[in-house]
Amino acid sequence: MSILATKDTHVVIQGGVAGVNAARRMAEFRYMNKQPLNVSAFVYPPDAGKTNEVVCGTELVAIPIYKSVAEATKNHPEINTSLVYVGADRAYAAAKEALDDAHIQTVSMITEGLPEKDAKLLGKHARGLKKTFNGPSSIGVVSAGECRLGVIGGAFDNLVACKLYRPGSFGVITKSGGLSNEIIWICSQFADGITTAIGIGGDAYPGTDYVSYLEMFENDPQTKAVVIVGEMGGDLEERAAEWYGAKKRRIKLLAVVSGFCQESLPKGMKFGHAGAKEGLKGEGSARAKSEALKKAGALVPETFGALGPAIKATHQELLKSGEVKAIPDLAPADVPRLPKTVADAKKDGEVLVAPLIRSTISDDRGDEPLYQGYPASELINNGYDIPHVIGLLWDNRLVTKQEAEIIKRIIMLSADHGPCVSGALTTVIAACAGIGLSQAVAAGIIMIGPRFGGAVTDAGRWFKYAIDNKLSVDDFLGYMKKNVGPVPGIGHRVKSLRNPDKRVKELVGYVKSLGIETPHLDFALEVEKITATKKDNLILNVDGTMAAVLVDLKFPVDSLNGFFILARTIGMIGHWTDQKRQGSRLIRLFDYLVNYASPKRREVPPLQ
Amino acid sequence: MAKVLEGPGMGLLQKWGLKTPNYVVVSSGDEFDQLANANDWLAKSKLVVKAHEALGSRFKLGLVKVGLDLAQAKSAVRDMLGKQVESVTIREVIVSESIDHKEEYYVSAKSTREGVEIMATTYGGVEVEANWEKVKRILVGIGESPTDSELLALSKDAGFTGDTAAKMAEFLKKLYICFDNEDAQYLEINPVVKDGNGDLVALDAVTLLDGDAKFRHKDWNFPFAAEFGRAYTKNEEEVMAVDAKVKGSVKLIEIPGGNIAMLPAGGGASVYYSDAVVARGGKLANYAEYSGDPPDWAVEVLTDKVCSLPNLKHIIVGGAIANFTDVKKTFGGIINAFRKAKAEGKLDGVKIWVRRGGPNEKQGLASMRSLQDEGFDIHVFDRTTPLTDIVDMAMAAKS
Repeated sequence: MSILATKDTHVVIQGGVAGVNAARRMAEFRYMNKQPLNVSAFVYPPDAGKTNEVVCGTELVAIPIYKSVAEATKNHPEINTSLVYVGADRAYAAAKEALDDAHIQTVSMITEGLPEKDAKLLGKHARGLKKTFNGPSSIGVVSAGECRLGVIGGAFDNLVACKLYRPGSFGVITKSGGLSNEIIWICSQFADGITTAIGIGGDAYPGTDYVSYLEMFENDPQTKAVVIVGEMGGDLEERAAEWYGAKKRRIKLLAVVSGFCQESLPKGMKFGHAGAKEGLKGEGSARAKSEALKKAGALVPETFGALGPAIKATHQELLKSGEVKAIPDLAPADVPRLPKTVADAKKDGEVLVAPLIRSTISDDRGDEPLYQGYPASELINNGYDIPHVIGLLWDNRLVTKQEAEIIKRIIMLSADHGPCVSGALTTVIAACAGIGLSQAVAAGIIMIGPRFGGAVTDAGRWFKYAIDNKLSVDDFLGYMKKNVGPVPGIGHRVKSLRNPDKRVKELVGYVKSLGIETPHLDFALEVEKITATKKDNLILNVDGTMAAVLVDLKFPVDSLNGFFILARTIGMIGHWTDQKRQGSRLIRLFDYLVNYASPKRREVPPLQ
Repeated sequence: MAKVLEGPGMGLLQKWGLKTPNYVVVSSGDEFDQLANANDWLAKSKLVVKAHEALGSRFKLGLVKVGLDLAQAKSAVRDMLGKQVESVTIREVIVSESIDHKEEYYVSAKSTREGVEIMATTYGGVEVEANWEKVKRILVGIGESPTDSELLALSKDAGFTGDTAAKMAEFLKKLYICFDNEDAQYLEINPVVKDGNGDLVALDAVTLLDGDAKFRHKDWNFPFAAEFGRAYTKNEEEVMAVDAKVKGSVKLIEIPGGNIAMLPAGGGASVYYSDAVVARGGKLANYAEYSGDPPDWAVEVLTDKVCSLPNLKHIIVGGAIANFTDVKKTFGGIINAFRKAKAEGKLDGVKIWVRRGGPNEKQGLASMRSLQDEGFDIHVFDRTTPLTDIVDMAMAAKS
């Protein structure tokens, strides 16, 4: 047995993100007790018609969101309780809406900072309807083994540590949320745990006070003793004392009150919750409250620290008198566990998961990316450059300074070739059509292929084939003619022997000046000597030169187009930002640039 | 509760039709001179000049001057402004018209659990304390309004007679309307006096509003004043500014002369920690509290201020078992500020005591514990150590 929140409680949560979080915590509690989720609906007008996903054990449950409480209770007539997680400025209306719904018997409000006047009006309204308005500023209500309203009790581990999966004999009523959890813990360690723990909130005029719940506990046979944690200010503790002292009560009462420090503080200085304010005439002091409670027959330990032993002593008495029986602890194997996420189970070494992908180049699980194991910042600080990063990520190796210089020059020479070439033109057209950067550049990159910039890989492949198979230039050209077609990397649309490509000259000159072994480049130049005599423009083009040099540097053939793509991306980004900066408008081809070779206008024949 | 200074308090009374003396609030002598040119009542009336700051016992401190003519008032204004009293600089003064009167009355309205209590007596002014049993009162139920006949009965019961009884009933009606509409929690007018026209005038008022209701009072354009007889310190104001910005809360009140700093979590637990220190004969250097899962940077700011308190011997980083405040995250903020304070030498000879539970407690407590390796004098305990035992240990520790 328990009070207020029971196994028959069905909840609607009014509010957004915080409410969803509460529902998740509530689902954990129910899972611990092997019970289905007891949150039936949410009310949150901005998301009405959608659902909130709540993890229940190993499943995701979709809980519907409604525009109004009435709509929620119409669709889920089992709802009898509302939790209010709405901002202070709208909380009054939300709670009133819930109280006015015939299905709802209990409204608990977590909202903090509700104006005092609103809280008083809601309290009165609820009393008039003979309903319970708990809060505001309430951490919630938890009944061991049955139901949890809100996040009271905290994380799953704590629920288990506090044995909240089965009832004990102690009721708990506190103003403070943190202390409710502390007392739940103490009751589970010094005694047999709780039946129900209630946070009434630390405001000056909570909707429901100690007395309301003491009455309920008195009528709950499972509850043998109640712990209340009071605070200076107001008269709720005095009223509790008055209730307890009025006649012989079945339940034992234990209480502590905070605020003794007030006696030695500068006058008027107030601490803690909104309700913790002394009366103008000194009434409501911690001392006065403690005295009143003691006088009424409650057990009032001198300090908070002495509460544990006092609870223990009370429990021992209950055991001795036979009112309660000792509850054996669960065997470790029977202690409830939350299903682990794969990530957690993996971390704890409990599962083996077949990986979906394998990566051999980089890892950013730490505080910075590692390229082939080298931290990016250390590469920077040790003078490494972009070509080294390319070497690490494209070929799993640190290239030499000399190789890096060659790569840098290749990229610089191929970064852009003006707006007229296929890639840049496409990017420009896209930019003028208002297309965003990444899509416009991607459109330009799509142009890179067999006829535009995409011959580097193929050129590299065939030059490598020739060298690997020790072909002579003649044998190579013969093989290509027979099996492949034109030699990739040879030939240019506009450049020729008489009008050589300056970029090729520059790159070849530099690489040759280094005095390194360049068998592929040498071979490619020999090939050019033959082809150029056949036709003036069959020269070694920039693709072919790059390809031969990069194969000489031992870059894998499949990565070679990447050098052109990388380099040209710089140019395409430039073209896109250039158009953007100028505010360019949509363009289209002029008619005179098109040879309209389609049939002239004619009659449409009847459909057959 | 939020205290409102006299100027804005009077403004609220006027808004709801209660008569007050003419007054101006000024922050410079020149401003007052200009107002004197524009308002002829300043030249025609006897004047009262008071410091417009949250200070107790202004009379004793020489911050109230009465019976002045305009020239005297001008010099009093210049005298008072900029004066340093304790930690407070006088930034504003209020100059009001003094009203000749024979009798002083007392009225107030106070929020209670059952509704609003309206109180009145003919024994006003300084006499009210000694005649508290003569104060008559009625209770207005929650959501209700007092009827004219109830108010007239109260007025007569309190000793008002004839024409004055009717006027007082009307005055109380306006007082209640003001109280109700302005989300007041306590409104005391003492004294209420009769001016030359026989009208009741509110001479001085204590106004406590519900700060939580600010969202529906667009015209509350005044700052709230500290309620403990002194102005807020710079550190307190900085923490309040952070508190206003974040989810959850961070709070700080400085207490000069103490040597045990408090950095506990939770509005409830924090007071039990303060009680434990006082019960063991310790001297609190401050009150502090963080709760509701505030961001780590907010806790870092709070910790920074706490570490800056002078003459510290101990810092108590206490807390109950949190429901949803992330221990690891909030401790992260505390640890950042501790490291900074240590580098600045602020933690030399300071012992730190930690006790906490809640979400991610293991990781949070472990990172606190690891501060030992960095040379902190820090003692870390988990949920198995009762809440306030760290205070006992701190007080028993030899420094």
